[in-house]
Amino acid sequence: MNNRRFLHATRIALAAALALAGAQAFAQTATEADLARRLDQLAAELAAVKAQLAQMQAQRNASGDAAKPAAPMAQAAATAPAPVTGAAAAAPSEPATVLTSYGELNYNRPNKASENAQADVRRFVLGFQHRFDAKTKVVTELEVEHAVSSADDPGEVEVEQAFVEHELRPGLSARAGLFLIPSGLLNENHEPTAYYGVERNFVETAIIPSTWREGGLQLVANLDNGLTLQGGVSTGFDLTKWDATSTEGTESPLGAIHQEMSLAKARDLAVFGAANWRGVPGLLVGGSLFTGGATHGQSSASSRVTLWDVHARWNPGRWDLSAVYARGSISNTAALNATLVGNPTLIPKSFDGWYGQAAYRLWTSGDYVLSPFVRVERFNTARSFADLGPGITPSALPTEQVVTLGANFQVTPGIVVKADVQRFRENSDANRLNLGLGWSF
Amino acid sequence: MKDRIASPRRGFAGALCLAAAWALTACGGGGTAASATDDTASASTLSAQAELGQKIFNDTSLSASGRQSCGTCHVAASGHAADNDLPAQMGGAALELQGHRSSPSIRYLATNTPFFFDAEGTPTGGFFWDGRAASLQDQAARPFTNPVEMANTDEASVVDKLSRAAYVDDFKKLFGADILTRPDDAFARMTLALQQFQREDTSFRPFTSKYDEFLRGKATLTDQEVRGFALFNDPAKGNCAACHPSTKKSDGSHPLFTDFSYDNLGIPRNPDLIQNADPAFFDLGLCARDSGDLLSRADLCGAFKVPSLRNVALRHAFFHNGRFKTLKDALTFYVQRDTNPEKFYPRNADGTVNKFDDLPAQYRINVNTSEAPYNRRPGDAPALSDAEIDDLIAFLQTLTDGYTR
Repeated sequence: MNNRRFLHATRIALAAALALAGAQAFAQTATEADLARRLDQLAAELAAVKAQLAQMQAQRNASGDAAKPAAPMAQAAATAPAPVTGAAAAAPSEPATVLTSYGELNYNRPNKASENAQADVRRFVLGFQHRFDAKTKVVTELEVEHAVSSADDPGEVEVEQAFVEHELRPGLSARAGLFLIPSGLLNENHEPTAYYGVERNFVETAIIPSTWREGGLQLVANLDNGLTLQGGVSTGFDLTKWDATSTEGTESPLGAIHQEMSLAKARDLAVFGAANWRGVPGLLVGGSLFTGGATHGQSSASSRVTLWDVHARWNPGRWDLSAVYARGSISNTAALNATLVGNPTLIPKSFDGWYGQAAYRLWTSGDYVLSPFVRVERFNTARSFADLGPGITPSALPTEQVVTLGANFQVTPGIVVKADVQRFRENSDANRLNLGLGWSF
Repeated sequence: MKDRIASPRRGFAGALCLAAAWALTACGGGGTAASATDDTASASTLSAQAELGQKIFNDTSLSASGRQSCGTCHVAASGHAADNDLPAQMGGAALELQGHRSSPSIRYLATNTPFFFDAEGTPTGGFFWDGRAASLQDQAARPFTNPVEMANTDEASVVDKLSRAAYVDDFKKLFGADILTRPDDAFARMTLALQQFQREDTSFRPFTSKYDEFLRGKATLTDQEVRGFALFNDPAKGNCAACHPSTKKSDGSHPLFTDFSYDNLGIPRNPDLIQNADPAFFDLGLCARDSGDLLSRADLCGAFKVPSLRNVALRHAFFHNGRFKTLKDALTFYVQRDTNPEKFYPRNADGTVNKFDDLPAQYRINVNTSEAPYNRRPGDAPALSDAEIDDLIAFLQTLTDGYTR
């Protein structure tokens, strides 16, 4: 199937999926719709009551026997994404220290260059959470990418999360340390069981540099009306390490300058905030903003990096629909680029992207769940450049469009097998088949 | 950039390797770390050892001729390189012997390292055109006993001359009253003092060019300089930055305009070098250096060190053999070497161009022909036009230390 036909077919599929979802959600009788809504409400209320009960039991255990307090991570209820990593709903039998892990083993086979097919232990992550008392815990993740990390191998070992969370009062917690920035749908919920497709989507890797974490302080408030508010102060990006001679900045402008709290330059701090509303069962609507200085007094021109997004996820019946739009901008790039002119990769003024995704729980049997999905995304890592003068100002990049069609197969909750094909409109050489195995617990 | 050097068949780093004409003449390199913040330090803060090194650096009595010091061939006003257009400086007991290579600048060398192959196999570091010295001190030592330079018979004869210097009491005060009774130790202390001088004296790392001021946001490049800068960086045009990095590092340090690697540019043979009168003689550079450690690396024959381009506009002779006398000629060679080789190389008896004539036939495959601006053929347009070369020269002139607004 050539690209045009594939794209056409995909558009039809996506349109059909959306239409079907709408039909399922709205084409019922008023009574049925009302009944369904009340069922959803009851389910949500039951989940909340369970969580409260578990928390009370944990608190009682904590006060009575220090060896037994427990607070495992709650899995995201139903199909909605978890509010935030580490959201705790205690269960009485859990130990104080909980081992966590997730992993991704991927196979990529380019259509036009099968000699470049690769199999990779993309990520192997071990983490633990230890609860000191009912209100205080530490959350960590240690990640190995590409299986082997040594002086002669390309792998990386990374501390991906390392923060302490303390509940100030019910519904309000404070975090300190290295934590994931609330942005988009994926960054805080990046385990392979939490998203569709073998590879993470491009918008939330090229524009939002998942897995994106910073060091700092954060407040998390869960309000009774379903609103989760997050905000804080953190480290930010480092534009002084922009490498204009490489293409890294073209692949992901912010991925090229994130610091990951590794001897991070911290003269300039950033502020961030996010709001996510789950007031209607099965629906999540949210947005985020991050902005901070990124030159740290080490450049003659100071600059600010800003990234914002809006996102939504909706789970009507068997459907799982989601969409994200993210846009980043870097200020004062004319002055920054003046010292880089002529190089292949100058600093873009703006970059953005969106995707829409529809998944359908087609077949279930016991724990088995088969969910085909389609995702269309368009993104541009260099939407615009500041004017440097004729002959020197780079042209904006063409907007890439990627269509991903595939399926997730849940073997059992926590284990997923994935397969998909991807079609790139601009860089058709990247068209590929992907297979993946993932777990998370 | 690294690929070029790791792949011998492709030659070495492609780029405008403006191998400004400096050679293995007296003394070692100088300067200290390329810090953006320490470039205003005063030379008046020299330690006693460095002050002694300064005297030794300028002492002509330490040569066999009595007329040559380190500073003779590394003139501060010329960016610590030669101040004339000779392909190599004259040396020997009566300054009657011609050196073998042009005198390199010894500025901005403090962050250089001993020679090594990096993880990708790229030859890197080392001092002199062939990296044979491991340190500033090592480099500083060798010209004293080089027959075509300062021409002392041995190190003891240098120490003997030192014992009659006006500053010998300072030397003994620093290194012990009996130091001169141990000539090997005394010579080592002498070169150590030279190294210390080059490390401490900020004139070896002033970072006072217009380009430095531009990076500090205190100067603005003219339109022509900006055009030249863009051509310098553009991988499809000058591609100079591939070997001569031009951007600040993330630690804030200003660029040195060299990656301390090696390249084989196929520089034409220079008939002005007396050694080239022998048609069987070829200066093979890296593979043939005197330690003999790279004799088996035929792929490195013809490679020479990539020099810094700072102060390149002050040079009067370019490349290891001083073949070109002006920046315009040197840059024209870069971009027309492969489009118009007849401009630079002699013709064979059959009328064909004897391209890369300063290398034996078996090593000509080592010449970098894969990257811009070399990746052309006769009849192609050069990577840079004549006007663009002028733009590039305008930019290179911003690399001269001592800019004042």
